[in-house]
Amino acid sequence: MIVLGMESSAHTFGVGIVDDGEMLANEKAMYKIGTTGMIPGEVARFHAENAADVLGNALKKAGITPKEIEGVGYTMGPGLGPCLEVAELSAKTIAKKLEIPIVPVNHCAAHAEIARHFGKLSDPIMLYVSGGNSQILALEEKPHLHYSVLGETFDIGVGNMLDSFARKLKLKPAWGSSVEKHSQGGRYIELPYTVKGMDFSFTGLATRATELIGKEKVSDLCFSIQETAFSALCEATERAMLLKNKREIGICGGVAQNRKLKKMLKAMGEEHNARLGFAPDEFNADNGGMVAYLAERMIRSGIRSRLEDCGIRQRYRVDTARLG
Amino acid sequence: MEKPRIIGIGAEARLYLMNLFGADIIIKERLPKKYRAKALDLRIRKERTKNEARIMFRLSKAGIRCPRIVALGRYSIYMERLEGVLLKDKEISSREISDAGQILGRMHSLDIIHGDFTPANLILDNSGKVYVIDFGLSAMAKSEEEKAVDLLLMKRYLKKNLYSLFEDAYSKTYNDSGKILRRLEEVEKRGRYQIRTLA
Repeated sequence: MIVLGMESSAHTFGVGIVDDGEMLANEKAMYKIGTTGMIPGEVARFHAENAADVLGNALKKAGITPKEIEGVGYTMGPGLGPCLEVAELSAKTIAKKLEIPIVPVNHCAAHAEIARHFGKLSDPIMLYVSGGNSQILALEEKPHLHYSVLGETFDIGVGNMLDSFARKLKLKPAWGSSVEKHSQGGRYIELPYTVKGMDFSFTGLATRATELIGKEKVSDLCFSIQETAFSALCEATERAMLLKNKREIGICGGVAQNRKLKKMLKAMGEEHNARLGFAPDEFNADNGGMVAYLAERMIRSGIRSRLEDCGIRQRYRVDTARLG
Repeated sequence: MEKPRIIGIGAEARLYLMNLFGADIIIKERLPKKYRAKALDLRIRKERTKNEARIMFRLSKAGIRCPRIVALGRYSIYMERLEGVLLKDKEISSREISDAGQILGRMHSLDIIHGDFTPANLILDNSGKVYVIDFGLSAMAKSEEEKAVDLLLMKRYLKKNLYSLFEDAYSKTYNDSGKILRRLEEVEKRGRYQIRTLA
């Protein structure tokens, strides 16, 4: 079954095409954030301007014509309202025109499921880390297939924390990945470490690290903020894994591109004979492929949505999303 | 003297059982984690061991049921062994859950937060008494927020009727419980906490 997926919850407009779980295309256009962060209206305009091109590229890459599309999925949420609307409207237009089934997809669940697919994981503890989110998830079968949240951030997402810190340090580009680059050769400085059971918090860490800008070396600060935040994530994941008796760890979301974090999780897993699995980087960053992949599975399991029920939900929680 | 035998591996510590002068002793040793920087690792293990011991002493002194400490190392706590079953591994009775509520109420009266108050950290001993264990995430704190989170953990775990028994017992034991319960409502209303259940 050929299914198209559309994603526009934040800075990326993405279109993916799958056929029986096989990825035929994963095309995207990314809004350049610069120094201001994201202004929703402007990002949405960027998406609208690029939607047709990205869709065209995806069809070309997959080598199919629009008529061959048998179903369509889009990201319903969570995300920024004006941004989400672009994929929603595009998907609805396609569904109406081609008279094919449409399903709204939860963004977080799509990240987790694509990591499970590429990482060859059957029942992992899944660490979902991105700009806006940081959660520890596990699959539950009842009353229907869904992810439950075992632990999560009490305040901000780890990606947002690292990006904001990079901006305060005036690193270029101001991304979490620049913090990783500048952390090379750093020495550990004591910073607040907050884990409560399987939950964690990052604002205290961010505040203290910001206070130390100018007083400590940039490499020491970058190393320490990353080390502290990632250690907290590893510890919470470890606790969740032991509590749920799992022997697989997954990592997904934008921050899953970070090599240091993957290395730490792998080392943690080895102490418990647990394997780490994840998707290639292009599927960890926001993308349409993951939406297409989950949409196909949802359509196959019989989930259908009426066009008039397809909207957006800016605060769509992953534990309320039915996957099968 | 026999060699200590591993009886449990937790997320951050290993538990050993050994017989010391005829008595069964449990040793909780915080192990190094290879994934984190050494300086952070040493700090976390040392601080938590010290903190945990301090809390246990306070609870014992106040007569709240928890294992008694026999000796203390830099990264290990030696404590008496409780024989029984974890509440998470059994059908919890209403009497047991009320006892648990009372324990948390008394802890909060002393401004002690447990930090991971769940049936996985409550033991029913062979004489039928409920004990609280594992103070690795405990702290001295007056904060309503943190006390509310102690309740929230239990609320996520327990079925509704069992939780209301727990909350009743808690309220009866702790004078300021009204404030904490109101705070709990607030905490639950926040987006991030919504509809969280542990199946």
